[in-house]
Amino acid sequence: MRRREAPEGGRRLSVSDFKAEGMIYAATVRSPVARGSVRSIEFPRMPTGYRGILPTDIPGANAMASFGTSIPVLAHDALAYAGEPVALVAGPDPILLEEISASTKVLCDEEEAYFSWESFSSDQVAAKHVAVVGDPDLAFSIAETVLEDSYTNTALEHYYSEPQGAAAAYDYDKLAVWCATQWPYHVRDSVALVLGCKNEEVSVRPTRLGVHLDGKLWYPSLVACHAALASIVCGRPVKLLMTREEDFLYSPKRARSSIGVRAALGRNGDLTGLDLRIAVNLGAYAPLADEVLGQAIFAATGVYTCPNIRVEAYAVLTNNPPMGAFGGLGASHSFFALEAHMNRLAASRGEDPMDWKSRNVLRKGSTLLTGEPLREEVPYGAIADRLARMSDYRRKYACYELVRKRRGDRIDGPLRGIGLSFAYQGSGPFLSGDDSNAYAVEATLDKELRLWIRTSAAVGSEGVLAIWRRSAAELLGVPLESVTVLPPVTDEVPNSGPSTLSRNVTVVNRLVDRACEAIQKRRFRDPLPLTAKSVYRVPKPIQWEEGQVRGSPFDTAAWAAAAVEIELDPWTFEPRPIGLWICADGGKLLSPERAAASLRIGASDALGACMRERVDPTERLGRRDDFFRYGLVPLHELPPMTVAFLEPSRKAPVKGIGELPFNTVPAAFLSAVAQATGVRVSSLPVSATELTRAMEAT
Amino acid sequence: MTLPFILNGEDVSARIRSVDRLSDVLRSDFGLLGLQSDCRCGSCGRCLILLDGRLVPSCIIPAFRIRGREVVTIEGFAQTDEYQDIVAGFRSAGVENCGFCDASKILSTAALLERRARPTNAEILEQLSSAPCRCTDPEALLRGVLAAADRRSRRIYRRAR
Repeated sequence: MRRREAPEGGRRLSVSDFKAEGMIYAATVRSPVARGSVRSIEFPRMPTGYRGILPTDIPGANAMASFGTSIPVLAHDALAYAGEPVALVAGPDPILLEEISASTKVLCDEEEAYFSWESFSSDQVAAKHVAVVGDPDLAFSIAETVLEDSYTNTALEHYYSEPQGAAAAYDYDKLAVWCATQWPYHVRDSVALVLGCKNEEVSVRPTRLGVHLDGKLWYPSLVACHAALASIVCGRPVKLLMTREEDFLYSPKRARSSIGVRAALGRNGDLTGLDLRIAVNLGAYAPLADEVLGQAIFAATGVYTCPNIRVEAYAVLTNNPPMGAFGGLGASHSFFALEAHMNRLAASRGEDPMDWKSRNVLRKGSTLLTGEPLREEVPYGAIADRLARMSDYRRKYACYELVRKRRGDRIDGPLRGIGLSFAYQGSGPFLSGDDSNAYAVEATLDKELRLWIRTSAAVGSEGVLAIWRRSAAELLGVPLESVTVLPPVTDEVPNSGPSTLSRNVTVVNRLVDRACEAIQKRRFRDPLPLTAKSVYRVPKPIQWEEGQVRGSPFDTAAWAAAAVEIELDPWTFEPRPIGLWICADGGKLLSPERAAASLRIGASDALGACMRERVDPTERLGRRDDFFRYGLVPLHELPPMTVAFLEPSRKAPVKGIGELPFNTVPAAFLSAVAQATGVRVSSLPVSATELTRAMEAT
Repeated sequence: MTLPFILNGEDVSARIRSVDRLSDVLRSDFGLLGLQSDCRCGSCGRCLILLDGRLVPSCIIPAFRIRGREVVTIEGFAQTDEYQDIVAGFRSAGVENCGFCDASKILSTAALLERRARPTNAEILEQLSSAPCRCTDPEALLRGVLAAADRRSRRIYRRAR
């Protein structure tokens, strides 16, 4: 096998770089219909060395390892979305394979597909959770003010560093699988299930991951199953790498959601009731439905204390491709809707949202949706003060309000507005109560005082590895150069669960520390080498009962506020951000520079969702036109970004902060646009065309 | 057909088909894996090369168009002093890339510094937008390019003296 890497950044092999002696390629044949069943598949005449692979060629189960839903590897009897894999073709030339795949005839019995999701039938409900606290009906009946609106989150493309792909080849007595995944053990279990072999007979060797935004959580398992199947059937090493276009059209995207918010205020303007209805379009098979709904529900009350709450959340099945995670699971959906609504609520009372929020924010001991008291103090005051000073928020807000009220119909200069949003990111369980939630890390200190850390946690950048190494080196008092994190090959490292929701710095880092502490305790008593294993289990799994949820939604939380200032061209109404400020309480910062960079990078992505990124789901999730149109915001269109952290207390834990920009920036942007224009805006991205129409209507 | 051209300072030739893209030829025939070939429509910026000194996406260039022309990929550029300036500048500014877009960012910076020894912030951000990636911290990148420009100027000044 030939491995050659670029001089810079080529630290680990990527799927596209993979080569092996006698390697052939595989391509996917996809369903032409969104719902129905396959009647027949007719491959064109193929040259020698090429072959088609059908579901009947699968030696084991035609399904990936379950993670709350069952997804077929090659669909046949029940097609769930247009573009679903139904067969594979394999052969030596990838260009010819593309042609063979395109000219394969897939005859189907088509059935009427479901695409509507904001209103849906009971058949489409994949999961439903309801949580009620207090008496919301009574609260609304006696409320002084009630404000109701609905907000929509659009689908987004992950635009990860490399399209989805996998390679498989026999390595002595094991089938080795190479793919970029956040969850190597899920890939292993899925491939073993499909091939009908033992888990230990499959070795997953994760390749360079890059930036993924949770787009490589479970889908790499499906692609790995395809590559492994083709490799077994053809008896050759096989690589399957999707093109960007194919990936854009058929891989999971960020779920769409529609959130109806009704808020009740008492006589003094305090929040007395909240009623939310959340519908999340998770597409076909509704992957991670419980997780997405759980996160959306916990975030639905935002950072506010409210005695009467009702949250009703539905995961809706449609015949779009599967959708779900994007820089977190469902929390950003709810924070967007709630924060935008709370800003409107405050503005409708003629109050600065910062002041209104300070009166209604959660405090230590406030009852959470699960009935548990909040165990930590919410640093709202400190964050708000710092943010206000950084951004000059209070002056700008008051000034832009005055300008908007006085200008009337006459617009003769740029329109400006500033918006504020406050949110948190919880660190805690994933896949509640499941065995796969047992995160483990192993560390060995050998006789030469070299430390070897073993974890299957996949990292997207070298920064996280550097944090683990530095932390371990400090604990054991060994030089940094003697600490090595071994590659996350599944037959050599313990299962550390899926790398998502900032768990690499919250959970895995803690486990590395614990393993090192265990070694340190025995270091001068027992002879070297010493090995220690640390395991993390969810202390109290979330439990859904009739109308109630019990358990702890998060171990600890990072809190943050963002302010976004925007300017609209008076002629085109093109919104342009001119400043962005984030202030966070990120707990103990393992690397302040990397933490700040992480928030700036997240803020750039979040602004992309506010300004231009959008996948328009019609009958197919993405259309070819969308692929050519889709793009990240150019760097020169981004505003100056200022990030600050509160000084952590001595005992502050490490917290996950990566999702904070997604939880805060969109609502702040929307509120800024609303203040600048004076029109109601309820979805992102905000386009000049929509704003012009809305302004004309008013 | 056999195609002669200059690759990273050496005269080379490749047997190509009329449908081959330059990016595929560079990756598969010459094993130059520093460039990716993802989007195949010139938008993702992972396959940037210097073609006769100009920054171009190699995935949309038909291989037969490069007969007799000069191609520089990151592997060839890595042998130059300019490369060392840029890498050192990026490192000093804390630029951390994802491992997929590094080559494109370095070549984009090189093309910019070749044109403008002291680029403005706006010019830097506009140029680096040709290699879009979600790993980019705009602030660090800006500092990195300015540091690289500084190192390059000092090196050229030293050599001139």
